[in-house]
Amino acid sequence: MAPDPFNPANHRSVEILVSKLRRRQVVGSREAALETLKVLRQVVSRSRFSNLDQLVGLIRCVGRRLVEAQPKEHTVGNTVRKLLHHIREEYNNTAAGASSSSKPGYSIENFVLLGQFRKPSFVPTSEIPIPLEHDPDDPDSFARVVKPLLMEAIQDVLDDLETVYDNISRGAKDHIHSDEIILTLGHSKTVEAFLKSAAHYRNYTVIVAETGPSYSGHSMARELSSAGISTFLVPDSSIYAIMSRVNKVILGAHAILANGGMFAITGTLLAATAARVHSTPVVVCAGQFKLTPLWNLYHEFGALDFSDPSNVLGFEEGSLVDKVDVMNPYYDYVGPELIDVYITNDGDHPPSSVYRLIKETYDDDDHEL
Amino acid sequence: MPAPGLPVQPPNGPRTETKPKQKEMTKAERRELQERQRAAKQAAKASGEASGSSAKTAAKTAPQGSGSTSTPRRGTRQAENAPRSAPAAPRAVVSARTAGSVAGDSVATAPTRGGGGGGGGLRIFSHFGLQKPFAQFKITGANARCIATLRAFQTVIQDYVTPPNNTLARHLMTHISPQISHLVAARPMSVTMGNAIRQLKLDISGSDIDLPEQDAKNELCLKIDNYIRDRIDAAGEVIVEKSVGKIKDGDVILTYASRREGSSESSFAKSQFLSAGKATLRVLAEAGIPCTYVLLPSLGAIITEVDTIFLGAHSIHANGAVYSRAGTALVAMLAKQHSVPVVVCCETYKYSDGVQLDSFTKNELAPLGERFANFPLTTPHDSLVLRNAPNLEVLNPLYDLTPPANVTAVVTEVGIIPPDSISAIPVALGRLL
Repeated sequence: MAPDPFNPANHRSVEILVSKLRRRQVVGSREAALETLKVLRQVVSRSRFSNLDQLVGLIRCVGRRLVEAQPKEHTVGNTVRKLLHHIREEYNNTAAGASSSSKPGYSIENFVLLGQFRKPSFVPTSEIPIPLEHDPDDPDSFARVVKPLLMEAIQDVLDDLETVYDNISRGAKDHIHSDEIILTLGHSKTVEAFLKSAAHYRNYTVIVAETGPSYSGHSMARELSSAGISTFLVPDSSIYAIMSRVNKVILGAHAILANGGMFAITGTLLAATAARVHSTPVVVCAGQFKLTPLWNLYHEFGALDFSDPSNVLGFEEGSLVDKVDVMNPYYDYVGPELIDVYITNDGDHPPSSVYRLIKETYDDDDHEL
Repeated sequence: MPAPGLPVQPPNGPRTETKPKQKEMTKAERRELQERQRAAKQAAKASGEASGSSAKTAAKTAPQGSGSTSTPRRGTRQAENAPRSAPAAPRAVVSARTAGSVAGDSVATAPTRGGGGGGGGLRIFSHFGLQKPFAQFKITGANARCIATLRAFQTVIQDYVTPPNNTLARHLMTHISPQISHLVAARPMSVTMGNAIRQLKLDISGSDIDLPEQDAKNELCLKIDNYIRDRIDAAGEVIVEKSVGKIKDGDVILTYASRREGSSESSFAKSQFLSAGKATLRVLAEAGIPCTYVLLPSLGAIITEVDTIFLGAHSIHANGAVYSRAGTALVAMLAKQHSVPVVVCCETYKYSDGVQLDSFTKNELAPLGERFANFPLTTPHDSLVLRNAPNLEVLNPLYDLTPPANVTAVVTEVGIIPPDSISAIPVALGRLL
């Protein structure tokens, strides 16, 4: 049987990542995004395609496979979508260059079009005169020309991912002032980088909540204190008690949703609500790769992931275990009304403009891979 | 407290047996003498006195009995309400027992050390037994601490001898005050203890000068017994009764780190509990109530399913703010956001006159140490921060303050009242507090 390029199962790298995702050997949104991108690069560099449709179909096919392996790691899908967007952009630029259409300047027309459902910014290859040397006799000619461009697009996305912490932390000193008391939860690498970067310029205090049942706050507290930041570690239960002294709550996100809400580690909802009650600003640090074209309007834990209940009630409580339901949700859904600003690697955005970011970052027809 | 006082005796053996062993003969003689006097004087009140004195003797000869008086009683209360829950002792019960036995040991040795003189060293020593469990958090909970304190004072009062040229009403308080400061040195006084001590002071200063010393002491002990019975135990039962009325068949109830209310639910087979306190959970599960157990951070995931929230209180302030175990305020806040009624169960003797605006004033820090002994941990133990390091401090506040706006109702033994009306309680009780 001839190898079918559209069958992603043929790519060993895809297979490996799928099983890694399933087994939760790849966890963390940035890790997942990076791995996905590396796999896509391999797939693209090895596969054969003769037009854009085939290429897009191929990437989508791989993307679908990966997303199905771990639907709660939203960044996998996001990375695929972003790559598709980049590919189309590169293609269109090349196509536009070939057909020498003038780039539109500022115009009311653009503004009006922005709000509408965007037509796919490319027209299917069969309908426009192929600007590139597409030769029906030589099906590889397309790939030959496009591949360097593709690699460039992938590299762009990869660079974005690799510099994401630096770019987010750039504005740290504008958000954290001297002698402020900051509350954070869990161990978000983004927040860690953000706080450490601010520590170069400011002298401030961080309160870290333990964030059970993973108690990831402990490692966060250790990291921050070793960077010379004065750190307090408190149990989750005292979040409300200390909130009256906190100047700012800085949180990490697992995924930012299209309505401006987010998924974040369990306990975030409590902290964000307590902050809202005390009118304390809630700042979320997250890379743009976490932007997810998803909605979660009706379920408080509809898209949550559940993890091992033995972290909550262990088997040493033998007699209890079979009488009691134990729940250990992984993520909280935090609504947009509880968040003041998202600090991304592409500037600061209020939750209300997240929809626009998503429109800019992804193509509408990729929302369903 | 006649009824609970009596069953105490069997475990300690007959009085005559323990007396010669533990108490000095001079003291026993003295008391016998006084009892004879009393019998001659008040023959009519003999029966009442007998029960009173038996309770008193129990408290005196072996306070470990008095410690355990509260134990079986609490146990039976829960057993009545929740069948088959008796062996599963909630933490309060367990700690009351440890406290009692510790105090008992020290008191047993105290008289031999101090001789008949009853010097200051003896008195302090006799209560070292209570200081330690307080400081080490072996006795926790507003009720348990208050009961333990009152029981200890019963012993102190019985051991007290009025110095010559002085009266009990005037002098006893100066005898007790250093003991109180000794206890406070171990751990700040809880509101409940403060209220109880205030009542005790009132009783002492109000005691009749003409009464023989032993009678006056007995009367004070009886008053303490009554206080525990009326304000803590009976109040608790009434509160359980009242709060049961607020639970409908099939309701989902959420509790957080509180102990009492759960027991009343067994009659509602369909009720589902979402619990955040493992001790409560054990009692409920034993009683066959379907339970779901979550940690506090996961509260957001289940709050939408909850019909009513029952919370306990450490103390309640004049403006209706509830001072309770850390985390309670979070639960109440989230409940408010989701329009779930929050019912706080609280005896009136937990009332505190002051108004507190945030959780910092009067809060206590739990000691550092092995906080994770009771938690299952999949994270490696050495990855946890258990002690302070450079730039790193571990803080563990014990309490937080729930603003009255987040409390729907307060169940007290005098009725179910909105938090705004809490300040009416002392007036309604005739300023008993």
